[in-house]
Amino acid sequence: MLSESARMTTAQEAAYRIQYPNSKRRAAKVIALDRTSAKIVDEVSRLPWNGASFFTSLSFAAKSSPGSEGGEALQAWLNDLAGHALNLVAEVEAADFVVVITAAGEDARAVSIIADACKLHNKSLVGLVVPREGASEDAIGESLNHLRPYARMLVVASGVDYVEAMLMALRA
Amino acid sequence: MLKPEQNDYVTQTGPGTPMGNLFRCYWIPALLSEELPENDCPPVRVKLLSERLLAFRDSEGKLGLIDEFCAHRGVSLWFGRNEDCGLRCPYHGWKFDVTGQCVEVPSEPVESGYAKKIKLKSYPLIEKGGVLWTYMGDPAQQPPEPEFEFCTVPLNQTFTTKRIQECNWLQAMEGGIDSSHVSWLHRGDLSNDPLFKGAAGNKYNMADLAPVFEVVENDGGLLIGARRNAEDDQYYWRITPWVMPTYTGVPPRGDHPIHGHFWIPIDDHNCWAWSYDYHPTRPLTDSEVQAMRDGKGIHVKYVPGTYIPLANKTNDYLMNREAQKAGRTFSGIEGIGMQDASLQESMGPICDRTKENLVGTDNGVIMARHRLMRAAKALAEKGTIPPGVNPEHHKVRQAALLLKRDVQFKEGAKEALIAKKGVRQTSV
Repeated sequence: MLSESARMTTAQEAAYRIQYPNSKRRAAKVIALDRTSAKIVDEVSRLPWNGASFFTSLSFAAKSSPGSEGGEALQAWLNDLAGHALNLVAEVEAADFVVVITAAGEDARAVSIIADACKLHNKSLVGLVVPREGASEDAIGESLNHLRPYARMLVVASGVDYVEAMLMALRA
Repeated sequence: MLKPEQNDYVTQTGPGTPMGNLFRCYWIPALLSEELPENDCPPVRVKLLSERLLAFRDSEGKLGLIDEFCAHRGVSLWFGRNEDCGLRCPYHGWKFDVTGQCVEVPSEPVESGYAKKIKLKSYPLIEKGGVLWTYMGDPAQQPPEPEFEFCTVPLNQTFTTKRIQECNWLQAMEGGIDSSHVSWLHRGDLSNDPLFKGAAGNKYNMADLAPVFEVVENDGGLLIGARRNAEDDQYYWRITPWVMPTYTGVPPRGDHPIHGHFWIPIDDHNCWAWSYDYHPTRPLTDSEVQAMRDGKGIHVKYVPGTYIPLANKTNDYLMNREAQKAGRTFSGIEGIGMQDASLQESMGPICDRTKENLVGTDNGVIMARHRLMRAAKALAEKGTIPPGVNPEHHKVRQAALLLKRDVQFKEGAKEALIAKKGVRQTSV
């Protein structure tokens, strides 16, 4: 007689797996940290998504300098593709996870403001570095250094196609 | 999450499939040398990439991997007689050499030349590092021999085993690059297993159960770095290389032998899990080899006389709920290899990736799938030779090291990640 494990791992038994949506729509916030990555975010946002929101820039009050603590002190806004400025803290609070994108060698220090918001609401931050044509290893390294203290996962993407693939894989 | 058509694309490796064509660009492990131990030894049935084959070593030691079935009436040549530089079908005496060429059809006059017109499909089979490798692609595109370090060191420095795993190759391979499961599934083994314990770096694993991951592309595939906090403004990095399509290296621990895997499709519902262990600069000790034979480290105990793990699905993997409850093992299954295999087989013959919910730390898996699909597409559309075919891509090593926090791991570990003859692994 077959063991339970042997019976339950056949192709026949796989057909009886229950078919239902086992997850709810999740809110991904995809944020460009610089002008180059803003173009990428703009391009990617045109694909059909499952609730993801896309932002092409971040603006913040001078007193919300990188590393500032606390929601009230954090005065920063995300700018979406329609040109609306939305409160960063509120957007992050409503997020299931946050993805930041920077192009290699661009100034990505604004990530620390977003990281503060993520820390405030205990949200996971994924960092993507997209190589630019001709970008050196040093430039990639610099970008990684900006993101490293804050991201739970850091990825050097092969190109824009990986940004799409990753967001789709995460059901964004 | 993958769409159904993407899941089919990346899991099916039979003849004519895009991923099957990709696999057929590489030398892949086919058998252990021990399976064909001497000239004229019994032939061995082999199924690879959904093709039924037969391996044999002829009277002169030449190796052959040919279609399993006789061209005459389709009987299995496994019943054949391996004699006088060929394999003779016992049914009517037809005989084939290691290239699959028919050399005798006893019922026809030699002068007729009938035998010359019969040839079985065959693939080259070479011996390297205790492993018999085959290349199942276009002969005109045959790449140079594999140069993975474990198969280039002297034989007393390397030890390789294989075990059958009853699931699709991809879900098995993904376990090898999914570093985040180690802190859970294998947590008990770090301090107990003779092939892991005692390494100075283990303290970082124990102290920081939430590693942070970085994934970067490499010429042959990916480098997946897992970092943990260490003293003096440093990170402890464990770096896993993945060479396309299916080679992975587990980061080393102390001076223990270093190890890793290949997952080779048998068909779409089964694969061979190959496990290698080697040391770049010294022979393996008797106690290390004994531990590997006893199923320690990444190896397993077998059903005697087979490559079937002793703990397998037919005996519920010898599940021990008491050990699970007491925390001696996290899943109740003993041994790293079967801890992985039991869970991967439980996914079903082919994991339904349309239902999975990946998170950010799964980016190693996401990127590997992306690279596989991209390479298969480029091969199909433009004939582009995929990464990992060039033997230079094989000369990569896993590493475990301490780096200053502002150092990019790919740069800081640059030398450590290159396999160099006579140079010890970089390990903590």
